[in-house]
Amino acid sequence: MNIPYSRRFLDQLWVLVGGVNIRVKIIGIVLGLVILLGIAVTWQVRQLLSHTMYTQFFEQATALTRDLAARSTDPILINDLYELQRLLQDTQSNQPNIRYAFILDKEGYVLAHTFDGGFPEELISANGVTDSGYAYTTTLNTTEGQLWDTAVPIFEGRVGTARLGLSDVQVRQTIDMVTGQLLLTTVMVSVIGITAAVFLTWILTHPILELVDATQAVGRGDFSYRVTRWADDEIGKLTDAFNTMADDLAKAEADRAEREQLRAQYVHGVITAQEDERKRIARELHDSTSQSLTSMMLGLKALSDSCYIPELQKRAEELRRVAGQTLDDVHSLSLQLRPSVLDDLGLPEAIRRHVADCRKRNLLDIDLAVQGLEDKRLPSEIETALYRIIQEALTNVIRHSEAQTASIFIEKSKTQVLAVIEDDGKGFDQSAIDWHDGHLGLYGIRERAELLSGQLTLETGIDQGTSLYIEIPLTAEYEYSLE
Amino acid sequence: MRYSLYLLIALVVVGCSSYAPTSQGTVIDLASLQPLPVRYNEGVIPLRVSVAAVISPRGTAESYQLLLDYLSEVLDRPIELVQRRTYQETNDLIESGAVDIAFVCTSAYITGYDEFGMALLAAPQVNGESVYHSLLIVPTDSSVQTMQDLEDKVFAFTDPISYSGRVYPTYLVQKLGRVPDTFFARTFFTYSHDEAIYSVADGLANGAAVDSLVYDFALERDPTLADRVRVIHRSPPFGIPPVVVSPNMRPRQRVLLQEALLTMHETSTGVAALQALGLDRFTLLDDSAYNSAREIINEVELLP
Repeated sequence: MNIPYSRRFLDQLWVLVGGVNIRVKIIGIVLGLVILLGIAVTWQVRQLLSHTMYTQFFEQATALTRDLAARSTDPILINDLYELQRLLQDTQSNQPNIRYAFILDKEGYVLAHTFDGGFPEELISANGVTDSGYAYTTTLNTTEGQLWDTAVPIFEGRVGTARLGLSDVQVRQTIDMVTGQLLLTTVMVSVIGITAAVFLTWILTHPILELVDATQAVGRGDFSYRVTRWADDEIGKLTDAFNTMADDLAKAEADRAEREQLRAQYVHGVITAQEDERKRIARELHDSTSQSLTSMMLGLKALSDSCYIPELQKRAEELRRVAGQTLDDVHSLSLQLRPSVLDDLGLPEAIRRHVADCRKRNLLDIDLAVQGLEDKRLPSEIETALYRIIQEALTNVIRHSEAQTASIFIEKSKTQVLAVIEDDGKGFDQSAIDWHDGHLGLYGIRERAELLSGQLTLETGIDQGTSLYIEIPLTAEYEYSLE
Repeated sequence: MRYSLYLLIALVVVGCSSYAPTSQGTVIDLASLQPLPVRYNEGVIPLRVSVAAVISPRGTAESYQLLLDYLSEVLDRPIELVQRRTYQETNDLIESGAVDIAFVCTSAYITGYDEFGMALLAAPQVNGESVYHSLLIVPTDSSVQTMQDLEDKVFAFTDPISYSGRVYPTYLVQKLGRVPDTFFARTFFTYSHDEAIYSVADGLANGAAVDSLVYDFALERDPTLADRVRVIHRSPPFGIPPVVVSPNMRPRQRVLLQEALLTMHETSTGVAALQALGLDRFTLLDDSAYNSAREIINEVELLP
């Protein structure tokens, strides 16, 4: 499975390469191009130089040897071997590249040579001329490295052969030197290139990076960031668009905050009004209605005491009993409306009493657990909200869930209060909730929580029971206020 | 996609291929120096022919090649051409028997005859005669008319003992009551007649004296010479440069050689060889033909 493998490799490579930051990318490209160009040029120049110099070298070898052959013709013909030897030595001393020179007669015997002492015999047959050819150059592997041996026939080969051995050390040194210079230049230009690239990159990417920061700030909700416009190019347009967008978002956010504030005020007002109304009604019930009923009971008792007609007595007792029942109901209603116990004894106790009341009234098993509220009181609006929430939640459980058991868990930690109300009832389809349906009062619960900067989390499903999680944060001021 | 990538890589590699070829074969040790082998003569002993340095060694080798081939064919022996820089050396070779037969200059023969009995084998014939002249030449644009006009000028001699190239012009100077060393501003030896001709033609020398046969032959090969040099004096005829052998040569060999030369003009290869040298044939000649030259040689004092 070759293709997917290579595709995968390419993908991984792209992730790696693409993930490098933009400044490194630009510098990398510049550097890469400079180095590539430098190396390519160096290579090409080296090849060209090598070709040219070796061609010249060949020509020089041929020319030198042909000259030697021409000048050695007469000395050989008149057998002036001294002159021949001098000719070879002069040739060698004039041209430092020449490693050796020697003359062969037409039978292949050495007439003169430039070696000190003896002569390396293998050299004779290492090269030669074909018929009376022009010149023949070949490379020889010697113990002193590679040498270029040229053979030229003397007097059309009738008299002998001239042989010259040249070393290409100088050529190679020149080529290496030029290559070295070019590479050095490449390095220097790379350094200059990097510097220029860094500068260029900074200029190009600074606005981009600024935009990145600005966008991230917007993502965090900070709409105050504005980016300075640097140039009149695409990035400049992007900057303008961003700034406009930030302006719009800031304005929208301001509007939203304002609306939110208004809404919160409104809801707060509604809830406060509700509480005030409840308080007023509770007081009314407690003050006037209860009193009236008590008076009525007392009057009926007096009536029953002072009346000797048994029928009338029984009726009066009956009425007194009804009044007493009514008084209880009113009392209970009053408590429900505004439990003073909440103000006096605190949330845990109020909840306990409410739970006890519910247990008694309905056949529902309710567990209650409270943690962290033994010593400290919560701020009153949180206590009120929690009380109302739990009240509403329990009402839902009783009315809608057909549950057997319910549990309430309240925990105060350093940063928040958590209230969990769970039941094992029939639950409901979460996606089908109409939050504004007064039926479940979930809207009210959520609003009360959100008014206090908290949140409601709902977990439910058909036949899966229902769990309500209410978290209300505790501010630092609150903590401080309790110390 | 992949194939085009491979193609690209291949092109780059080819384009970058190095120029300098790498050497193959065994490694030669330049430090292992052995003495050169001694040469032994194997097989048939060649006939050794020497030609005096009348013209340049290369010119000699070229011109005489056909003659040597002819002799080799006729005598059924390999021929070896031996050349030396000076006439004296050639004389020495003949005297010692180091060469068997030599083509020498007139004065070299006369000296050799007088000193060790150099033997005249045959003499060339040109235009029906076995004579030649010494020609005094100057550049065409020169105003020189006679030897007298060459006073305080540069003069080119050929070989120190050349008759036409040194002896005769010295004789001319002596006849003016002078000596070449003081008469001419400067003199030098070219050691060959065609080089003397070209020295004058190229303006290196204001004048020279050369072998007339060589001069005619040079004109034939290079007609433009006529525009560059002219002859101002032609000597009386003297005996032509002969073919000589050592006096100690075995008679049988001597006869064979003589016959080969004398019958040369009767064979096609021989004729071709003669033409290459600008000669008609070889004939017998008596020593007395060289007496006129001998007289002048004896009169002339050649300073070394």
